[in-house]
Amino acid sequence: MTKPFRMKIETQIALTFMRSRPKMTIVASLGVMFGIGMYIFMNSIIAGTNDYFEKVTLMSTPHLRIYQKVPRNDETILGQRLSDGSIPLVVNPQLVPTVTRIRDPYSLMDRLRRDPDLLAVSPQVSANLTVSKGSVEKNANLCGVDILEQDRMFDIASTLIAGSLRDQQQLTDGILIGAVLAQDLGVSVGDHLLLAASGHSSRSLRVTGIFRTTIKAVDEAKIYAHPEAVQQILQTDRSYVTELFVNVRDYDHLTKPMAQKLRERTGYSVETWEEANEQSLAGRVIRNILANAMIFTILLVAGFGIYNILNMTIYEKIKEIAILKATGFAGGHVVSIFLRQSLFIGLLGGVVGVLFGAGLSLGMSHVPIGVGGLSHLPITFRFQDYLLGFLFGTGTAFFAGLIPALKASRVDPVSIIRG
Amino acid sequence: MTHALQATNIQKTFSGAEPFQALRGISLTLAKGEFVSITGKSGCGKSTLLYILSTLDTAYQGTLHLCGEQVTGQSQDQLASFRSRHLGFVFQFHYLLPDFTCLENVMIPALRLGAKPIAEIEHDAMEKLRLLGVGEQATKLASKISGGQQQRVAIARALINDPAILMGDEPTGNLDSRNTGIVFDLFQGIVRDFGKTVLTVTHDPDFARRSDRVIEVVDGCVN
Ligand SMILES: Nc1ncnc2c1ncn2[C@@H]1O[C@H](COP(=O)(O)OP(=O)(O)OP(=O)(O)O)[C@@H](O)[C@H]1O
Ligand SMILES: [Mg+2]
Repeated sequence: MTKPFRMKIETQIALTFMRSRPKMTIVASLGVMFGIGMYIFMNSIIAGTNDYFEKVTLMSTPHLRIYQKVPRNDETILGQRLSDGSIPLVVNPQLVPTVTRIRDPYSLMDRLRRDPDLLAVSPQVSANLTVSKGSVEKNANLCGVDILEQDRMFDIASTLIAGSLRDQQQLTDGILIGAVLAQDLGVSVGDHLLLAASGHSSRSLRVTGIFRTTIKAVDEAKIYAHPEAVQQILQTDRSYVTELFVNVRDYDHLTKPMAQKLRERTGYSVETWEEANEQSLAGRVIRNILANAMIFTILLVAGFGIYNILNMTIYEKIKEIAILKATGFAGGHVVSIFLRQSLFIGLLGGVVGVLFGAGLSLGMSHVPIGVGGLSHLPITFRFQDYLLGFLFGTGTAFFAGLIPALKASRVDPVSIIRG
Repeated sequence: MTHALQATNIQKTFSGAEPFQALRGISLTLAKGEFVSITGKSGCGKSTLLYILSTLDTAYQGTLHLCGEQVTGQSQDQLASFRSRHLGFVFQFHYLLPDFTCLENVMIPALRLGAKPIAEIEHDAMEKLRLLGVGEQATKLASKISGGQQQRVAIARALINDPAILMGDEPTGNLDSRNTGIVFDLFQGIVRDFGKTVLTVTHDPDFARRSDRVIEVVDGCVN
């Protein structure tokens, strides 16, 4: 070395100690590398899975659903009419059939559309009915919607496997039907189907498109039609709307407060997409717990690796530590040397680990799955995973080095030098 | 005028299954600018005494003043700093850092002290190595040179911070008479020209005779 010690003396000594035992340094760094790499990979795949399920959920669920609850039987009314001391007794309560509809939906929609936080408002006229072709009969869930508005929410266009949205928009007797339902009925684009609601009239409508969402319940029962067509079948007026679907600007944060706001403003029940899909949120929580447990274990193992290797280094270098202390290095300086060593191992493993994590995630994102709508392993690349992985990894290395470093600082030079 | 070293009634007992009192009340004073040799039979306690006088060993009874400062009772960190500033030490077995070059070994205590810029430290270290006849070994690893060369590098290291007191435990033990002469002259030079104080253990009667004063240790006592 022609130009020795351009760095701080503790740094230089730490680096020299590391260089004199390259294998140990590499093994310790590998531990950190695997820890960080796995941290990044696990988080990427969990984020990818969450994103995937969220996307699937939002393909069939609006951010907010405004509807009228079926009124439940309510004893308070009865209680008001009775004098004190009497006991209200309701035997065999029955629901009075009430129409659950949104009153005056168009002026409500006008008001909602003026809210800058709401991206789309789509009125739904839904009915459960039977659909038949010849002698084949199926139950279906008919949705009368403005197909372009609905497309803005659920991106129906991307799920179409035959026909077009434009045709559906232009033909007042057109319908879009799910792929499984179309197969069950043996129909293709252009065919006519007979839709009949119990106790109401029936109508023949023409298939303008077939969609496949990969959500089975949707594909085997859903039919989109014009609102007017549904209203005709149900023999209701033109303002008959059963519920409103609403999408908000920032669905991660705005749905809850917006739901509350709309509940107060409209008096209707408002359901958020999270409430409508609580089971998938439970899945997310469990995935996160699993991942955290794994990550914690990996980092712990990497930490123990560094701890062991530094302990060995210190045992090996005990003479050198004694010499350094004899020639004027205080305990703090010795701690500094060995903490630097573990920090370098952490940084080295951190840099390589970030690359390893990125490579692993990239490689795994090409693994084919081919189940449902999932063609490949879902992986989301998020900067925060890389940053936190790096910080956790180097942090683990640092703290794993703390105990051995403190031990080194307590080496008694005379007892070593005396031999 | 303060003394360079003043030890009062130093006692040292090695505890264990059979406690052994290695030093039995040693008092000794070194004036500034004195060159003193310690002699005595093997096992009489010379190294034990030197470890105490050099502040490395703190488990003893008695009091020790160095450069007018009481070092007895100071903390390990204070002592490390004191050694860095005022003491040079050559061990009985040379103890260099094997992963570093000879030049780096000499530079390290000066870099720790941080009193001079690196370029100057490097220059001074090179100077010292040349003075001791090991200039050509500067870029070799300390583990790759002979025992006598290692000893001379260790002496260069002890001198790098221009210590007020230089202590050596048989610093010429591995050297031929020519190199012993060089080291002796070097020590005498820093004593005479720079007023430093030198205290060395030696088995070499010639070396001892030529120094200012000889202290003989017999069974843990000063004669
Ligand atoms: N760690 C120890 N525990 C117990 N006794 C010890 C220990 N170290 C040294 N001694 C004893 O203390 C005495 C003095 O030892 P010391 O090393 O000071 O001798 P010395 O005069 O330097 O001898 P030499 O000339 O051979 O170097 C010896 O009798 C030795 O056995
Ligand atoms: Mg000895």
